[in-house]
Amino acid sequence: MTRAAVAFRDRGLVAGAAIATLMVVVAVSAPLLTAISGQDPTTFHDGLLDSARGGVPVGAFGGVSGEHWLGVEPGTGRDLFARIVYGARVSLGVAVGATVLQVLIGLLAGLAAGLGGRWADAALGRLIDLVLAVPSLVLAISLLAIVPADWPRPVLLAVVIAVLGWGGTARITRGETLSLRTRDYVAAARVSGAGWFRVARREILPGLTAPVLTYAALILPTNMIVEAGLSFLGVGVRPPTPSWGQMLSTATTWFRADPMYVVVPGGLLFLTLLAFVLVANGLRRVLDPRQSEFLR
Amino acid sequence: MRRSLPAVLVSAMLLTACQGNGGEGGATSAAFDPKTCQGGTLSVLNQGGINRLDPARLYTSGGGNIPSLLFRTLTTRNRLEGEAGTKPAPDLATDLGTPSDGAKTWTYKLRDDVFFEDGTPIKAADVKYGIERSFSPDLPGGAPYLRDWLVGAANYQGPYKQPDGLEAIETPDDKTIVFKLSKPEGDFPFLATATQFAPVPKAKDKGVGYDAHPISSGPYKIESYEPKKSLELVRNEHWKPAVDNLRYACPDRIEVTAGLDAAVINQRLVSGAGQDANAVTTDAAVGPEQLAQLQPGSELEKRVARGEFPATTYLAFNTRKAPFDDPKVREALSYAVNRTSVVNALGGSAVAGPSTTFLPPQKALGHQAYDFFPAGASGDPAKAKELLAAAGKPGLTIELAHENDDGNGLGPKPAAALQEAFKQAGVTVKLTPIDSATYRDVTGKPATQPGLSLQYWGADWPSGGPFLIPIFDGRQIITAGGNFNLAQYNDPAVNAEIDAINALTDQSQAQQRWGALDAKIGKLALTVPLAHEKDVYLFGKNVKNAVPDGWRGTYDLARISVK
Repeated sequence: MTRAAVAFRDRGLVAGAAIATLMVVVAVSAPLLTAISGQDPTTFHDGLLDSARGGVPVGAFGGVSGEHWLGVEPGTGRDLFARIVYGARVSLGVAVGATVLQVLIGLLAGLAAGLGGRWADAALGRLIDLVLAVPSLVLAISLLAIVPADWPRPVLLAVVIAVLGWGGTARITRGETLSLRTRDYVAAARVSGAGWFRVARREILPGLTAPVLTYAALILPTNMIVEAGLSFLGVGVRPPTPSWGQMLSTATTWFRADPMYVVVPGGLLFLTLLAFVLVANGLRRVLDPRQSEFLR
Repeated sequence: MRRSLPAVLVSAMLLTACQGNGGEGGATSAAFDPKTCQGGTLSVLNQGGINRLDPARLYTSGGGNIPSLLFRTLTTRNRLEGEAGTKPAPDLATDLGTPSDGAKTWTYKLRDDVFFEDGTPIKAADVKYGIERSFSPDLPGGAPYLRDWLVGAANYQGPYKQPDGLEAIETPDDKTIVFKLSKPEGDFPFLATATQFAPVPKAKDKGVGYDAHPISSGPYKIESYEPKKSLELVRNEHWKPAVDNLRYACPDRIEVTAGLDAAVINQRLVSGAGQDANAVTTDAAVGPEQLAQLQPGSELEKRVARGEFPATTYLAFNTRKAPFDDPKVREALSYAVNRTSVVNALGGSAVAGPSTTFLPPQKALGHQAYDFFPAGASGDPAKAKELLAAAGKPGLTIELAHENDDGNGLGPKPAAALQEAFKQAGVTVKLTPIDSATYRDVTGKPATQPGLSLQYWGADWPSGGPFLIPIFDGRQIITAGGNFNLAQYNDPAVNAEIDAINALTDQSQAQQRWGALDAKIGKLALTVPLAHEKDVYLFGKNVKNAVPDGWRGTYDLARISVK
């Protein structure tokens, strides 16, 4: 049975991948979806709010109607569906961007440590320890608080999350590299005259694919939570850009008066995280036959 | 006054619908008898409000809510609902003061039978000493008016460094105190409500340490006090109701707990379990959670006090900075604002109302209606675009400074509402959040002041003067910091009119002229008034006579009963 066939028989992986793909499609096609619903994420609809009651949406379920499919945001009347789909762009975009950066930095550092000899390994090892030891949320808040307001926030968020969170990937890469470099085929490549760079690229990297891909699928949801957390704490994206974390942050004062406003972004965040965790576990089962025996 | 001062006991959002219908507050005073209200323990659940108690260091409007339980001042607010509550009343003094020399000299006579908590009679010299020590550099925090008004006070350093005292305050005998002012000030009886006018016995003064146990002259004294956390008050046996007709002093004991979250306070007041049935708050206005439950006829509606503290939320232009030096740009933005969405961002129509005038709608401040740049309920972007085109600046990009959290009503929510309204007029707004702890420092220093910022101004006392003078008097532009004339506007004619109104002791005449002055300045679009404050405060099930006063918009602890 090929790996693809195994993958398709893994129900968790299929379900997770389906939901994750749907979320990505929603995020990518946000302008299209809002064009269909005829709304945009920033227009205020004061007429849909009960101002005397603090600005809660008029109508059931947070003002759900034919025009506003998920209702409107309390206090502003902005269309919740439009904000959700545009918010998915930020939440997913930042998480994916940060993950790609983390994997790149981690791979380079891990390979250099694994192949670079005793001193390089010692120096990079301590650096990785440092990155892993630093309380990243606290540092991220301080970093994001001091940068000028006109820097592009989503890019900045991705970079900050990546710079503070590449230690895990580096450590795994280093460990795998150390074990791979002692294999016979690597020794054969060395003996036939290949340099370390060529060995890293042609012999080691293919062997790293499975563990790194699995790990990347695991840190992606973590990065989503970090983005949501930073936006929740007010150092994430700036208004009027929507993000799920930021919506949850404003929802804390509304959770009784307008439960829909908590349930929608909170539920979607939960669903997306669950999907990516399912994908990560599924990938591990498919790509690592030894693990699959235990995990099944 | 600035909202973020810790000592300001005025809360962020009070409530009274307008002056006229302030009587809607839940508890009515009709059947309330102050003679039989004594007994029980009142709980005060607060976010803050007890960071310090030294009367020299408090910045209050009308003497504050908690401080007024401890300190009697020469005059005080008269603690009535609606417009009647915007007037001062005699407290330690026998009347509101006798002006002479064209309101440059004010003479007060002290009541008989007034005592400190240790039984010592209160003398005029104690009031003089209390004022003098507020000039000490060790005891900062009070309102700046005394230094500005008293003759020769500009460089006075307080009695610790200059024990000879202030010559501007004379005490010819134990019952008489005379103030000499450098210019006529008809509002002096309003200023005399401040805690700086509370008597301080020199023998008990410990300088900075006096804060631990300030000596009471009011109906309660301190039993225990932990700053920012708790304050327990018990009756001051030397205070007699016969010589204080304004404070009812109903509870035997008052326990203040600070450091609580506003949402928690309001939830506890709604539930009213146990001792919380006897609880009130002086600084946690209701949030959306409670407003959503406050339907007409609901049980909760009977436990809410709606008042109005005179205060305005507004956009301040720095007219020395492009593009706001161009009146057409300022006018265009005045047309573009959507006051409905700003009011919603501030918490809805229960806690804010749209304002087109800088003076809030209280008659005591001299409010006169005007709307020179009619934006309607939701803005007039077409007119704004037209003006911007005429100014040669279509598609303008501007920065708007605001606080980084919504705690003071100057945060991202109203800023986002303005951003969206200006977008309709083709103006791109970049939001510049500034840490709320340093916001006033940044905007109050002309060197660092942004071109456009979201601001709030509340009345130090219900009169047009303290509302207009710091904002529009050209002689009040302070380049060192602490500046509130953010437009940096200096018109000698306006300055002269301010002096002329200050000299008036007839409040109705003064009101008329403050209102006219506000309308005159309003034509220049130096600010964009956005909303005025309304205040909604809950109180516990057993709390009686929780009537909001017209001065501060919230109920008065000195008149509440829990019996």
